Amino acid sequence: MEPAEAEFLAEKELVTIVPSFSMDRVHLIGGDLGPFNPGLPVEVPVWLAVNLKQRQKCRLVPPAWMDVEKLEEIRDQERKEDTFTPMPSPYYMELTKLLLNYASDNIPKADEIRTLVKDTWDTRMAKLRLSADSFVRQQEAHAKLDNLTLMEINTIGTFLTQALDHMYKLRTNLQPAESSQSQDF
Amino acid sequence: MPSAQKPMRYGHTEGHTDVCFDDTGSCIVTCGSDGDVRIWENLDDDDPKSINVGEKAYSCALKNGRLITAVSNNTVQIHTFPEGAPDGILTRFTMNANHVVFNSDGTKIAAGSSDFMVKVVEVTDSSKQKTFRGHDAPVLSLSFDPRDVYLASASCDGTVRVWKIADQTCVTNWLLLQKCNDVINAKSICRLGWQPGSGKLLAIPVDKVVKLYRRETWDHRFDLSDTSIAQPLNVVAWSPCGQYLVAGSVDGSIVVWKVETQESIERTKHEKNYSICGLAWHPKYGQIAYTDTEGNLGLLEDIGDGKKPNDKVASTAAKDYNDLFDGDDDDYLNGDAIEPPSSPTTGANEDHGDDDDLMPTASHPRRAMLDDDDNSLDIGMIKANCNLLEKDDDDDDQTGGFPALPASSTQQHFYDGPLPTPRQKPFQPGSTPAHLMHRFMVWNSVGIIRCYNDEQDNAIDIEFHDTSVHHATHLPNSLNHTMADLSTEAILLACESTEELASKLHCIHFSSWDTNKEWTVDMPKDEDIEAICLGQGWAACATSALLVRLFTAGGVQKEIFSLPGPVVSMAGHGEQLMVIYHRGTGFDGDQCLGVQLMELGKKKKQVLHGDPLSLTKKSYLTWVGFSAEGTPCYVDSEGIVRMLNRRLGNTWIPVCNTREHCKGKSDHYWVVGIHENPQQLRCIPCKGARFPPTLPRPAVAILPFTLPYCQVTTEKGQMEEQYWRSIVFHNHVDYLSKNGYEVDENATSQSVKEQQELLMKLFALSCKLEREFRCVELADLMTQNVVNLAIKYASRSRRLNLAQRLSEMAVEKASELATALEEEEEEEEDFRNHLNAGYSNSGTERSRLPVRNVQQDEEMEDAEETDECEEAEETPEVHKQRPNPFSKGVTSAEVTTAKPAVIASSSQGRVNPFKVSSNKKDPLVPSASVLDNMSKYSKKTSSSSRAVNKQNPPVIKPLIPKPKSKQASAASFFQTRTPNSSEKAVEERQEKTVEERQEKAGRESPEVKVTAQDNTENKRPKTGFQMWLEENRASILTDNPGLNEAEVIKEGMSRFRVLSSEERMAWTEKAKGRAVNDLTEDKKRKRPTAAEDEAKKNQEQKSEDSNLSKKTKTSGQSTNVRLSAFAFKQS
Repeated sequence: MEPAEAEFLAEKELVTIVPSFSMDRVHLIGGDLGPFNPGLPVEVPVWLAVNLKQRQKCRLVPPAWMDVEKLEEIRDQERKEDTFTPMPSPYYMELTKLLLNYASDNIPKADEIRTLVKDTWDTRMAKLRLSADSFVRQQEAHAKLDNLTLMEINTIGTFLTQALDHMYKLRTNLQPAESSQSQDF
Repeated sequence: MPSAQKPMRYGHTEGHTDVCFDDTGSCIVTCGSDGDVRIWENLDDDDPKSINVGEKAYSCALKNGRLITAVSNNTVQIHTFPEGAPDGILTRFTMNANHVVFNSDGTKIAAGSSDFMVKVVEVTDSSKQKTFRGHDAPVLSLSFDPRDVYLASASCDGTVRVWKIADQTCVTNWLLLQKCNDVINAKSICRLGWQPGSGKLLAIPVDKVVKLYRRETWDHRFDLSDTSIAQPLNVVAWSPCGQYLVAGSVDGSIVVWKVETQESIERTKHEKNYSICGLAWHPKYGQIAYTDTEGNLGLLEDIGDGKKPNDKVASTAAKDYNDLFDGDDDDYLNGDAIEPPSSPTTGANEDHGDDDDLMPTASHPRRAMLDDDDNSLDIGMIKANCNLLEKDDDDDDQTGGFPALPASSTQQHFYDGPLPTPRQKPFQPGSTPAHLMHRFMVWNSVGIIRCYNDEQDNAIDIEFHDTSVHHATHLPNSLNHTMADLSTEAILLACESTEELASKLHCIHFSSWDTNKEWTVDMPKDEDIEAICLGQGWAACATSALLVRLFTAGGVQKEIFSLPGPVVSMAGHGEQLMVIYHRGTGFDGDQCLGVQLMELGKKKKQVLHGDPLSLTKKSYLTWVGFSAEGTPCYVDSEGIVRMLNRRLGNTWIPVCNTREHCKGKSDHYWVVGIHENPQQLRCIPCKGARFPPTLPRPAVAILPFTLPYCQVTTEKGQMEEQYWRSIVFHNHVDYLSKNGYEVDENATSQSVKEQQELLMKLFALSCKLEREFRCVELADLMTQNVVNLAIKYASRSRRLNLAQRLSEMAVEKASELATALEEEEEEEEDFRNHLNAGYSNSGTERSRLPVRNVQQDEEMEDAEETDECEEAEETPEVHKQRPNPFSKGVTSAEVTTAKPAVIASSSQGRVNPFKVSSNKKDPLVPSASVLDNMSKYSKKTSSSSRAVNKQNPPVIKPLIPKPKSKQASAASFFQTRTPNSSEKAVEERQEKTVEERQEKAGRESPEVKVTAQDNTENKRPKTGFQMWLEENRASILTDNPGLNEAEVIKEGMSRFRVLSSEERMAWTEKAKGRAVNDLTEDKKRKRPTAAEDEAKKNQEQKSEDSNLSKKTKTSGQSTNVRLSAFAFKQS
């Protein structure tokens, strides 16, 4: 899966916005949205929030976890533990990227949040690589990884499976090579 | 004895602390292990002054503007007070000093150190030191004899010694304490104390008792103990008058004794059981400050007899209260300072307040004579002295004591009754205090006006919730505007007068179509604007001259009127202006406010004539405004939201208690708007404050409304609450329609439906509980249709008596309605004439006003009628349902029926052949017919389980020939759709004869006819299919158990189709034959349920290949189905 696809899925997540326009309930296939009352917070999917924000039709209320203190805690926890810790949102990376790109003016300390989420992400990716490494090294048959988000799985999924494939091929080729080696000599 | 214990607050970081009051008692001084000395104005002071004195402060003492601290660098320092400038080092030790004390006149200090030494140093001359050696362990605490002869000290070596200061000899020593090697290991820090005044007694906390030793003889007099003390006592402190003694223990209990009687008058416990390590009495009042080893500061109030409220904090509370409205005190921010003020006279009270036992009297000549036995009488002692206990100094000094004051001589007249409350200052609803640098000038449903007033900028930011109203604006605030209001048309700003400039009203009328969008008005000299508000097309300001000035939106001066008192706040909405002012002086913390509500439309009138405003006890007004629908509301400081109940003679009803939703005690909700439909209280949650800061941008939350009905936990209470809430929150509909505004018909019908549903549920509940009388009472609130339903319900649940009573009531109601209608009819005639006369005016009305044409006038009539006979609609007596031009076609049958039928022609006696047609659209036709049938055949069916109606009510009407009714209904439909936008049409309609209508009906579209036919078919008692179904239901059910009613019918339908045509014919014949005597036989059969009816209808509808749109009946049907389904479900 492409990162863009993961992002697309993330856009279904709900965020709170404060609209600056008035509109009745909108009936869509995916469910009803609204009603939109100016000044009154309402929950909408990210795609709509971003769209409205781009048209300056709303103000975004950052999700509760998008807060420097909470993210610091999460980062520290992530660094402390060897396994993956649960993330505040299954789409934390995508949401951070989307919301900070389009609505950074409504998010206090946007830069710090960006750094913190990036730190957490890096820590998790390092863990992921490390575990992949040990997985390959120890030639394990299976491994269990909890609390991975979709985006994270997709960063390594395709590569790892292909790599394992290749390795398998190499290994299986290696056996006859050894035997043939003796023949060569 | 009651004492008020205020919650503890953080004072210092964890560790040993000490506390004292300053000489006048105006502030509390604490020191702690963070090395800071903090000066607290009162316990709620969020911004105490901090003086850093060192790394750690062990003890502090304050007298005569000198602050002495014992700090960790082994010195005893002086700081000036309250400035906190260092003023030198008094003395040094080789270890840190543990305790420092002043003598009574403040000339000397004593310090006891961990290096076993005690020093007495003259404050002004640190070279004059006296050292007391003798303790074999760190000195724990010290106490000066008030006469400056002796000094007592306690030490870790377990001894308490009394020294003679003059020659530094140890007069006596007692081995009382447990030995230990260091202060930190000591069980108790043993803060001892001499009795102030004569110094007759020395109190020493020893384990769980306070031992009292007599001066000079040094013998043990008595112990003070209390059962509540479970742990060793740490500290004792005498009240300044010497009558009371307080002790604090290491487990946090605090006990106050009256020394004379040795009884404990007060026991409290530290809220977290931390060890008390500092205690200090207020120099004047019954107030004790205490600190614990965790750095917290607490305050006990009203110690002693508690009869005088005039303690220090009470007076500061009064001050806070004033400050609150002045808006220049930060205490407001922490939200707790809004204690009810004791009174503004507290100050005056202090002036001649010697009546308080706990106050040391100022120097009194008598004292000099009384101090006979001592040679070392000095000024300082006199100053701090108390004359209470000194009469007989040898033996029974505790007996003589009580207020031996020549009270009458020193005391002037003292008023002891209720005390007036300071009046609350005027405010703008939705604003935060004016002294803040960044504040909201207004936050309402239109937008937000913020004011920034800092060094670099003085500006006003206006932001609209709905950007389509206007774009955000930034204005320089050169005039220093402090008041603002915002509407969808204009921004109104006002400033108070300065020395040069008059008070100004500044309006930015952004919706104006010309280029000049701003206007300003100067107030006359010495007249300050105190409150402003905006309405639709007008602005108003209330001034200090008790005037309310009205302006048009364009700046034309309009009416002026005087207010009976100083304004508190104003609010405007549409044509309504609400002014709240002081009617008089409130007492004991209550405000005395009055409210005027006026309508400034074409017909100017006053709705509320300065009625008293109901506020919660000891609260003040915090918000005034209108709901979005235009109902006046206000909020008081206790968080109670009240709303005008126009239905109950313009009374106020509490609709929400915002404090119930708060998590913390000091949390509040800051109300920004109220909506009645949907029911929303929009407010901003403020943590630990009464109002929100501008940054970070606060988020609006929505609270639900709840009327304070009893027993809302029970189903009954809940439904009652819901019912009345629904009623209250739909009052605005009547009001709006009366005033010619458009009303959302759907919402109205929804609300009626909701209310009736709730009534029905309540009815069912009461039935279940066998409360038949209550049932009748409930039925009295129901509309006619629902009453019929209730009758059905009652008869189904075999409550014949109830059913009968209900039907009697229904009949009564119907006749009442009929008479009411007659009256109305006459009224209507007059009204129309009146309207016609006034009609020419409406052409000149401003476009901003809701367009008034005949239609709306009619609507108004409707509303008025609705008022009077809301429940009594749709009776068979009704000649013809008056078509309602606003019912948006026939989409909502409920609406149509909810409106009372108005008789088009004024002739009373005329038989109306269209009666059925009006009933046709009634969603509850079946039930109506039930009533008819029942009453008609009551004699025959008296033995049946059906409801019995012995009376032959006037509502009964004969079955009407089918074709006629069809036409009639068609006519009514036609009428509905006839555009009658002019009055002429109205009159025409009045003159219409039945023939004309029928003629017109002939031209009616087939669609309508079909509808009518369909409706008539609904009325037909039985079809062949139904008869067949009844016969075969059992077999269907046995074949397919678990089918519900609708499914049974479906199944039956398919089976019926399978039958041969002959068979079907036979059934139809049977049905026809039965139809003749159907009504009689019908009684004995089980009536088809409503669901069956419904299914049948559907079936019929299906079979008709008409272009009938479902729209014409869905709404009515759904109501019917829902209600009836509900009713039957219950049975």
